[in-house]
Amino acid sequence: MLVGSVRKILGVFAVTLLFIISLGVYSYAENVITLGSAMSFTGKKSRTGKLYVDSYKFAVNQVNKNGGIKVNGKTYKLKLKFYDDQSLPTASSRFVEKLLSEDKVNFLLGPYSSGITIPDSLIARRYRIPMIEGGGASGKIFNKGNKYIFGTLPAAGDYFSSTLTFLKNAKPFPKRVAIIYADDKFDLSVAKGAKKTAEKLGFDVVAYEKYSTGASDFTSTLTKIKGVKAQAVLVAGHTEESINFIQQAKELNVSPLFLSLTVGPTEADFRKALGKDAEYVYGVASWSPQMNFKGYLFKNTKEFIKAFEAKFGYSPDYHNASAVADIAIYKNAIEKAGSLDPKKVRSAIAATNLDTIYGNVKFNPDGQIKGTTVMLQIQSGSIYQVYPNGVKKAIYPIPAWNKR
Amino acid sequence: MLEQIIINGILKGGLYALMAMGMSLIWGVMNVINIAHGAFIMLGAYATYWFFSLLGIDPFVSLVFSVSLMFMLGFVIQKGLINLVIKADIFITLLLTFGLELLITNLALLAWTADVRKVKVGYAAANLQFFGATIPLVRLAAFAIAVAITAILFIMMNKTKLGRAIRATSQDLDAAKLMGVNVSNIYSITFGIGVALAAAAGTLWSVIFPITPTMGGILTLKSFVIVIIGGLGTMIGPIAGGLVLGISEALGTNLLGATYENLISFVIFLIVIIFMPKGIFGGKG
Repeated sequence: MLVGSVRKILGVFAVTLLFIISLGVYSYAENVITLGSAMSFTGKKSRTGKLYVDSYKFAVNQVNKNGGIKVNGKTYKLKLKFYDDQSLPTASSRFVEKLLSEDKVNFLLGPYSSGITIPDSLIARRYRIPMIEGGGASGKIFNKGNKYIFGTLPAAGDYFSSTLTFLKNAKPFPKRVAIIYADDKFDLSVAKGAKKTAEKLGFDVVAYEKYSTGASDFTSTLTKIKGVKAQAVLVAGHTEESINFIQQAKELNVSPLFLSLTVGPTEADFRKALGKDAEYVYGVASWSPQMNFKGYLFKNTKEFIKAFEAKFGYSPDYHNASAVADIAIYKNAIEKAGSLDPKKVRSAIAATNLDTIYGNVKFNPDGQIKGTTVMLQIQSGSIYQVYPNGVKKAIYPIPAWNKR
Repeated sequence: MLEQIIINGILKGGLYALMAMGMSLIWGVMNVINIAHGAFIMLGAYATYWFFSLLGIDPFVSLVFSVSLMFMLGFVIQKGLINLVIKADIFITLLLTFGLELLITNLALLAWTADVRKVKVGYAAANLQFFGATIPLVRLAAFAIAVAITAILFIMMNKTKLGRAIRATSQDLDAAKLMGVNVSNIYSITFGIGVALAAAAGTLWSVIFPITPTMGGILTLKSFVIVIIGGLGTMIGPIAGGLVLGISEALGTNLLGATYENLISFVIFLIVIIFMPKGIFGGKG
C-alpha cells in the first residue's frame, strides 16, 4: 500500500519534471540570447544604476524591434536578466555566479562602478564568458590579464588629460594644481593619472588630498587649497560631495582660476541643487549630448537622444550612452562571430570596430575602450562641451565668488 | 591659515556642543544613554526642511516650531515608552533607545526615501572677512544660537524651580521624592528638553549640510564621544567636549588628511577615557 502511493507520487513527480523540462526546451526553441547583469537597483549607487537599467532595456528593445540578432540564418531575440546587487560587491559577484551556473545566460553585462566590476569580471573569467561593462573605468579592472572583460568607459587615469591639455595653453597659466579625490578605486585611479599627466606637462601639484567617500564637510580641505594658493582645482568624487564642495568653497570664499569635478556637473540634479553657484564649474565626460555620431542601433546620436527623452523624460548622459554602446557591441560581435560560442564571440568583441551613438568603439588589448574625455562647462544653467571642438568658448578664468 | 583652521574648528565645535547637550542632560539626569539621539537630530533637520520647502519658513524662524514640536514628541515617548523600563538595568534602556533609533530611521527612509536633501536658503554661502580669515555667516549664526541656547539652559537649571527639581532628581532620587518632586514628570520634561535640543542641533545642521534619513548614526557616536570628553553631570562639559573635538578635528584633518576625521575623534576619546575617566569637567564619572 505504502509502496504503491510512493510510486504514484514518484510518477506524478516524473511527469511534472518532464513537463518542466519540455517547457525549458520549448523556450529554447524560441531562439533567445540572454544577457545577464547584477545591477545596483537599490543601495548607495542606485541613482546611477538606474541609468544603466534604463539604457540596457532601451537598447535591447531597439534591437528586437529591428529584427533581433541574425546568426547563421537563424534569428534570435535579445533578452535581459537582472539581479539587484544592492550596490554591494559581494552580493554582485554571487549573483553573477548564479546567472552563469543556474540561469545559464549566454553573455554578461557589467554592474555599475569600478569596485563592483572587479569581482564580477573575475567570475566571468572563471566561467570563460565575455562581459561587456559600461560602468567601470578603473585600471584595476583591466590590469589582471582578464581576456573576458571589455569596458566602454575610457581609462580613469586619462579623465583629466583633455582638461590638463587645455590648461597647459590657458592664460594666465595655472601652474599650481590641487588634486582632491574620494578614497575609492575609481577616483584613486583618476587622481593618480591626473597627477602623472600634470607633472609631465609642467604643472606643480601643490596639494594631493583624499577624503572619505560620503564626506559632507570640506572646510579643512578647502582651507588647505587656499593655504597652498592652488590656481586650478581638480576634484574626483561623487555628486553629493561635489555639491557640498562647491557650496563650501563659496562659504570660505575659495576662488581658484579653474575648478573641475568628475561627477556632478553633467547631472541635472547638481545644477538644480546649486542653482547660480553651479555657474562656470567645469566637468569631464567620455561623451556629451552635444556630440553627433552615426549610430548602429539608432541612426545617430541626435535621434537616440530624442527617442530616449521621449521614453524616460530625462536627458541621457555618458553613463546611458556607454550602456547603449555595450548592447550594440554585442549585436555586432555575435553576428560577426556567426555563433553563440563564448570563445568566438569574445574574439569578435576584441576585434570590434564599430560606429555607435557613443562614438567609434575599438578596444585596447587589455579590454578597455580606446577613447578620451572631453571638457565641459556649465554656462547659463546648461552644460556645454568646451574643449576640444567646443560648441561654446570656455570661460576662463572663473570669476571670483565676490565678483559675480 | 592656522587662524582659519582654528575658526573652522570653533564654529564646528559650537554645533557639536549643542548636539551633545541633549544627550548629556538625559544621561546625567535619567541615567539613560539615548542611542536614538542622532535620529532625533535627523527629525529636527527634516522638520526644518519641510517647514522651509512646503511653507517657506526660514530655518532660523522655524527653529522655534520644530523645537516645541520635538519637545512634545520627546515628552510623549518618555511617558509612554521609556518610563516603563526606567528602573531596569541600563542595558534595557540602551536596547529600547536602540530599537527606537532603528524604528525612526527606517520610518523616515520609507516616508522620505534615502535621497539627499538640502535646505536651500539664499544666504547659505554668505561670509565676512576677519583679519585675513573667512567666516561663513551661517556657521557663525549657528554657533551664536548654540551658545545662546546653552546660556538659557544654564539659567533655567540654576534659577528656576523646574531646573532645581531636575538637578535634585539627578543628584538624589529619594531625597527629591521626599521633597515633593514629581519625579515621573521631571523625567518626561527632561527627555523632552533633551529631544528639543537635538532638534535645535538638527535645524542648524540642515542649514549647513545636506540631510538624509541615515545621517543620525554617526551623530549619535559623535555626541557620545563629546559627552565622555566633556564629562557627565555638568553644563560646561558638552561645550568643552564640543570645542575640543571641533578644534582637534580641524587641526588633525589639516595635518593628516581629511580621511582621518573619525580616527582623530576616537583617539581623543580613548586618551580621555584612560587619563581622565570622568572627562574634563566630569562630576559623576
